[in-house]
Amino acid sequence: MNKKSNPFIEYLKTPTGKKNIVYSILAIIIAVVFLFPLYWLITMSLKSDSEIFGKTLTYYPHNFSLQPWIVNFSDRDFLQSLRNSTLIALLSMLLSMLFGIPTAYGIGRYKVKGGKVFLLIFLVTQMLPASLMLTPMYLTFSRLHLLGTYFAPALAISSASVPFIVVTLRPYFKAVPVSLDEAARIDGCGVIKSFFYIMIPAIRTGIVTVTVISFLNGWNDLAYSMTFNVKPEMRPLTANIYKFISKYGTKWNCIMAYGAILVLPVVLVFVFLQKQIVGGLTAGAVKE
Amino acid sequence: MKNKRQRQQALEGYAFILPGVIYILVILGYPLVYNVILSLKNTNVKNFAKGTSAFIGMQNYSNLFKDPTFLLVFKNTFIFTIACLIVQFSLGFLFAILFSKDFRIAGPIRGLVLVGYMMPMSVTAMLGKNMFGVSEGVINDLLLKIGLVSSPVEWLVSSKTALGAVIAVNCWVGIPFNMLLLTAGLTNISQDILDSASVDGARPFQRFWYITLPLMKSSILAVLMLGFIYTFKAFDLMFIMTSGGPLNSTDVLGTYAYNLSFTKYEFSQGSAAALVLFVCLFVVGLFYLKLITREDD
Repeated sequence: MNKKSNPFIEYLKTPTGKKNIVYSILAIIIAVVFLFPLYWLITMSLKSDSEIFGKTLTYYPHNFSLQPWIVNFSDRDFLQSLRNSTLIALLSMLLSMLFGIPTAYGIGRYKVKGGKVFLLIFLVTQMLPASLMLTPMYLTFSRLHLLGTYFAPALAISSASVPFIVVTLRPYFKAVPVSLDEAARIDGCGVIKSFFYIMIPAIRTGIVTVTVISFLNGWNDLAYSMTFNVKPEMRPLTANIYKFISKYGTKWNCIMAYGAILVLPVVLVFVFLQKQIVGGLTAGAVKE
Repeated sequence: MKNKRQRQQALEGYAFILPGVIYILVILGYPLVYNVILSLKNTNVKNFAKGTSAFIGMQNYSNLFKDPTFLLVFKNTFIFTIACLIVQFSLGFLFAILFSKDFRIAGPIRGLVLVGYMMPMSVTAMLGKNMFGVSEGVINDLLLKIGLVSSPVEWLVSSKTALGAVIAVNCWVGIPFNMLLLTAGLTNISQDILDSASVDGARPFQRFWYITLPLMKSSILAVLMLGFIYTFKAFDLMFIMTSGGPLNSTDVLGTYAYNLSFTKYEFSQGSAAALVLFVCLFVVGLFYLKLITREDD
C-alpha cells in the first residue's frame, strides 16, 4: 500500500472498481465546452462597466462588481417584468394542469371509443408552431378584448403545454397497477377520490415533471407574450431583454445579469429535480 | 348488469377526457381553421377593423412563391434545419454513447449539459449575439489567440456567416436534447445481448453496427423527426439574435410570417406564410405519428 493514487482518480472509480479515465476526460471536455456559455453569462454579469467597455476582453471579472445585478433589481420596469413573467407562467401552468392531467388519466386508463383519436389530437397539436397560431389568435383575442391581459399569452402557451402533459403522463397513468385502483374502489373510494388520493400520488414523478415543464413553458415564452401584450408594462422578462442595447453601446454586463436572473429557475429545477425531469421528458417522446 | 357497468365506465372515461379535448379544439382547432380562411382573404390592419376584408383565393400563396425574399427564406429554413439535424444528431449520438458508459461523473455531467436545452431561448440567443460579436465577442478573441484567423470574423454582420453562427447556437441547445432522447433508447438495449455478442467475438464496431443500431432504429427515427419539427419552427433564436438579418440571410419561415403579420400588419399574407410552414411540418409530423403510434394498444 505504498502507492497511494490521486484522490480524484479514486473518486472516479465506480462501485465495480472501473476507473474509465479516458471516458472521464472526454466527459470533462464536453462539460467545459457546453458550460462555457453559462460561465460567460455569469462572469460577464459580474464585471464593471469600465471592464465591459475596455479594450481587451477579460476571461474573469478583474474588477468584481455587483452593480449590473443592482441596476436590474432597483429598476421598477424590471420588477414589473419579473412579476409579469411569474404571473404568466403560473397562470398558464394552472390552466394546463387543470385540463391536461384529467385527460391524460382518462386516455391512459379507460378503454373508450375514440381513445386513439383523442391521443392523436394531442400528438398533432403538440407539434403546432407558435408562428402558425400567432395571427389567428391575435385577431381572435382582439375581437374578444383579451389583448393586453395575462390571459391572452397564458391561454396560448397552455395550448402547447396541455398536449405535452397528456402525451407525457399517459404512459405514467397506464403503468399504475390496476389492483391499486380496485383496492381503493373496494374500500369505498369514489372515482374522484381515487383520482386525487391514489392515482396522483402514485405518479408523483410525472406530476413534478409536467408542473415544472409547464411553468417553464410560460416562463420561457417570447412569441405569444410579445405579440399579444404590446404595452411595455405588460411584457415578461423575455420580451424586454433588449433594453440595454442602445446606439451608445451595449451594456452587456447588465444584459447578462438580466439573463442570469431569467435562467435561475431553470438551474434551480435542475439542481433539485434533475432525475425526475430527465425521466419525464423522455417518457412521451420516444417509444419504448 | 355487465352492460350497465361498461356504460358507467365509458361515461367516467369521457368525463375525464373530454374537457381537455374540447379545450384544445377550441383554443387550437379554431385558430387553425381561422388561419386557413385568413390566408385566402386580403385581411390587413385597416380592413380588419372595418370588417371589409374579402376573399381573394390563392392570391397570397402565388404572391409568396413569386417573391424572391420568400424563396430565400424557404431555402434558409431548410438549410438551417438540415444542418442542425446533422450536427446535433451525430454529436448527440456520440455523447449518448459516451454517457451510457459506466463511469462516476457520467450522470452529473449529462445533467449539467442539459441546462442549455432548458433555458429560455431568448437568453441563449442574446448570449450567442454577444459571443459572436465582432470586437466584443469571445469566439473571435479565442480564434485570434489560437491563430486560426488573422482578423476578427464579422459573424453576424456578414450575410455569408450569420446563418452558420445561428446554426451553431441552435446546436448548443439541440445536441443535449438529442443526447437525452438517444440515451433513453440506448439504455433500453439489454447488456446481455451485447455481452453475448462479445463472447461470440464481435468487435465493438460490429456490435454497434449489427446490434445497437438496428435495435435503436425506431428511437433514432423518432429523434430525427422530432428534431426536424422543433428546428423547422425556430423563431425566438433568430428574432433576438439577428432579427432575420443581415439581408434576410437568417430569416426563416417563422420570423418571416411574424414580420408580415406584425411589422407590416398584412395578416392574410402572414397566415399564408405560416401555413406553408405548417404544411412542411405536417408532412414530417405524419411520419412521426405513424412511428410513435405503431403497435401501441
